[in-house]
Amino acid sequence: MHISDGILSGPVLAVGFVGTAIIAGLTLRKMDIEEIPKVSVITAVFFVASLIHVPIGPSSVHLILNGLVGVVLGWRAFPAVLLGIILQAILFGHGGVSVIGVNTLMMGGGALAGYGLWQLRHFVSMGRKEVIFGALAGGGAVLVSGLILSLALVTTGEQFNVMAGAVLLAHIPIIIVEAFVVGAAAGFLARVRPQILAGGNTTPLADRTPA
Amino acid sequence: MPLDIDRFAHVMSPLQRWDPRVKLASLGVLVICISLVKTVPVGVMALMSALVLVALASLPSSFILQGVKWVLVFLLPFLLIMPLSYPGEPAFHMLGLPFAWEGFRLAVLIVIKALAIVLCAYAMFGSSRFDISMIALQHLKCPKIIVQMLLFTYRYVFVFLAEMQRMDVAMRARGFVKRADRRTMQVMGDFVGTLLVRSFERTERIYKAMLSKGYQGEFHTMVVFKADGKDMVKAVLVISGAVLLLGMDLAGMFKIAEQGWY
Repeated sequence: MHISDGILSGPVLAVGFVGTAIIAGLTLRKMDIEEIPKVSVITAVFFVASLIHVPIGPSSVHLILNGLVGVVLGWRAFPAVLLGIILQAILFGHGGVSVIGVNTLMMGGGALAGYGLWQLRHFVSMGRKEVIFGALAGGGAVLVSGLILSLALVTTGEQFNVMAGAVLLAHIPIIIVEAFVVGAAAGFLARVRPQILAGGNTTPLADRTPA
Repeated sequence: MPLDIDRFAHVMSPLQRWDPRVKLASLGVLVICISLVKTVPVGVMALMSALVLVALASLPSSFILQGVKWVLVFLLPFLLIMPLSYPGEPAFHMLGLPFAWEGFRLAVLIVIKALAIVLCAYAMFGSSRFDISMIALQHLKCPKIIVQMLLFTYRYVFVFLAEMQRMDVAMRARGFVKRADRRTMQVMGDFVGTLLVRSFERTERIYKAMLSKGYQGEFHTMVVFKADGKDMVKAVLVISGAVLLLGMDLAGMFKIAEQGWY
């Protein structure tokens, strides 16, 4: 889900760019040279994976996976989403150049929320908790993104109130799909290669070597 | 969907010859001005200017249409919902719902502006090689780290796209059919997980290969930019056009014409 050019007001667009710059600055801190290629390559995977379509009822939705970005990259999820949004704007023209800021706040905010939910698993002890908290992160990330999108529409003007409601409704099936898919992916990674998952140990992505 | 936006960067045209730094900066100003337009007639003028730019870049229309198609699909709900949900006095009722011209005007404006900006993006990034556009962005004070990561990500998008397509073929060859059920979602989750595991191993090899080629956190480029008088003339033309559009819009030159329209 993303918003297109030409809808939001100037101030909302400006807030998007400023907010994105600040959060990107914070989440890019202490990035060493080893992390640059690794985070970028993982971003490419997510970019490609978001082209996957999953059937839902008579129609289909494409995966968003911003929750899984948070689960895998932790704080670095925000710059990863920023890269994805910029590429989307440049390569497809959907999304759009003037809304890069707003879209990054929306999807990246969701990704960080997903990471937060994912981290809650440390307070719980049960079997297969990665699936449960992966699902929470996957669904929660899309929910937060949908809420930010609605907020952007409502603050642009009251004529968008109904549209904002419609947008939230349209997010419900996506939240369900994302919860299942991200839950499954997190469970799979926990079984197969747990060191890919963020926040499980103290070593950052760069220092983790494949077994 | 075409991923190689720079497929036609080799075609010679006034936009391709334009210094990428000056081009991105000038068209960036135009995009900002278009996104602030509030009246339909000025929006239409912006759309026409964008069409002229794309024509100047001599990009094939089939190439552009592929991208524009998706923008229209995304914006269709606005055309349907906005006129029927605009607060205030409705002009008439359609299927029992209040239809407001102001909502319709707003929806039309949104579609026109979105199309204009998308076309500008094609003119910006379709007329130079991707890597050159990125280096130009760096010259325009876009943070180095972001530019470097963008170049990396773009490079590997194609690798993983091919990988994903191979995996997809393999899955279908074994009889997997996507359905709207839980099992499909489970399989897609495993699919994404597998893709991540494979790429994670690859990142390690990529990093080591880069280290052995002397990578120290910097990209070096042999691209040299040179802007001459012609580049500047183009910049002045585009920027004054952009300011003119926004000026006409702010001055409300078409307010009256627009009010008479409905």
